[in-house]
Amino acid sequence: MNAIPCLTIQDVENLDGVLGEFLKKAEAELTVVIDRGGNVISQFGDMTVMDVTIIAALAAGSFAATKELARRIGEIEFNALYHQGNGNHIFMNSVDDDTIMITVFGRRTTVGLVRFYSASAAQNVGKLLKSLQTNGHGFCFDASDITAAPVFADR
Amino acid sequence: MSIINYASREIQFKIVYYGPALCGKTTNLGYIHKRINPENRGDLVSLATAADRTLFFDFLPLNAVVIKGFVTKFQLYTVPGQVIYNATRQLVLRSVDGVIFVADSQWEKMEENVESFKNLEDNLAKQNISIDEIPYVLQYNKRDLENIASVNYLEYVLNNRKKRVQSFEVVSSTGQNVFASLNAVSQILLHKFSKQSDVPKTAPTPVAIPVEPPVLKV
Repeated sequence: MNAIPCLTIQDVENLDGVLGEFLKKAEAELTVVIDRGGNVISQFGDMTVMDVTIIAALAAGSFAATKELARRIGEIEFNALYHQGNGNHIFMNSVDDDTIMITVFGRRTTVGLVRFYSASAAQNVGKLLKSLQTNGHGFCFDASDITAAPVFADR
Repeated sequence: MSIINYASREIQFKIVYYGPALCGKTTNLGYIHKRINPENRGDLVSLATAADRTLFFDFLPLNAVVIKGFVTKFQLYTVPGQVIYNATRQLVLRSVDGVIFVADSQWEKMEENVESFKNLEDNLAKQNISIDEIPYVLQYNKRDLENIASVNYLEYVLNNRKKRVQSFEVVSSTGQNVFASLNAVSQILLHKFSKQSDVPKTAPTPVAIPVEPPVLKV
């Protein structure tokens, strides 16, 4: 039997607390915590800005792709990446070996402010996730809860 | 690795389509994107070259309600099949939950199929995952072509392990058995996380599911 790592309602509240405070201080639109495989762990802010699932997959890819660039100049990886648009921008920073934090922001703020506050936010998120790894519980569902019908249907 | 968010009652799984170059991985995703209910899918994102060869990956997010009380999100990825892009394949395999290995049934592709499967095993091993532990199924694609190996031969070459898995005869361009193979790997990985251990972790019969016979027009 294999258990799936589980974020309880309390865990999500704790993460939302850190992310909400960060967004308020940095005046950014949205922040998403993802694992390096592209899975969304937590998100906070204006979800209508974009499809979070797709952004997570692309951001994980982007972060991984630049690792080789970093290696060429003697770094293990870049700790942060910044993609500048005309009105909207993305800032990504490493939380730990398994996790990345993505922040989307617009004209209301600056990259300096986002970068400054994201450093402490990432530290706090990292601490919370570490405590989950040591104290967290896995989840298993009952086989009878799984639908017997095909998961996806061809129209 | 999949994760459950109890607050939003969501579970995420990552399924990767793996196989040699030009075997039909992207075609699989294209067919699923075209045929699945639009309410259950996001956009198909393709990072390809000008010649439509996969450069980084293709990505298709799907939603389903398959576990009571939870929205289950399946994230489908393809890897670039070309040999030189092994570093990219390793990246895409990160946190993988299930694999669909797409083999090209043409005789001249047999060596590439075997090399790609070995490459999959090696890349999983780098993440400390054994091919025998991860839910996967085999697709024998391009069954509509003439110069193809028999299913028995493909089974001998690719499914001749201690733990044999479900395999499907597929024509990804027309969609035959594309959904069947996706549903099979989804069920295997869902049951991997269930409390009962007697539910099928792998398919009981390692026999290829044949393509439906063509409908004759009268």
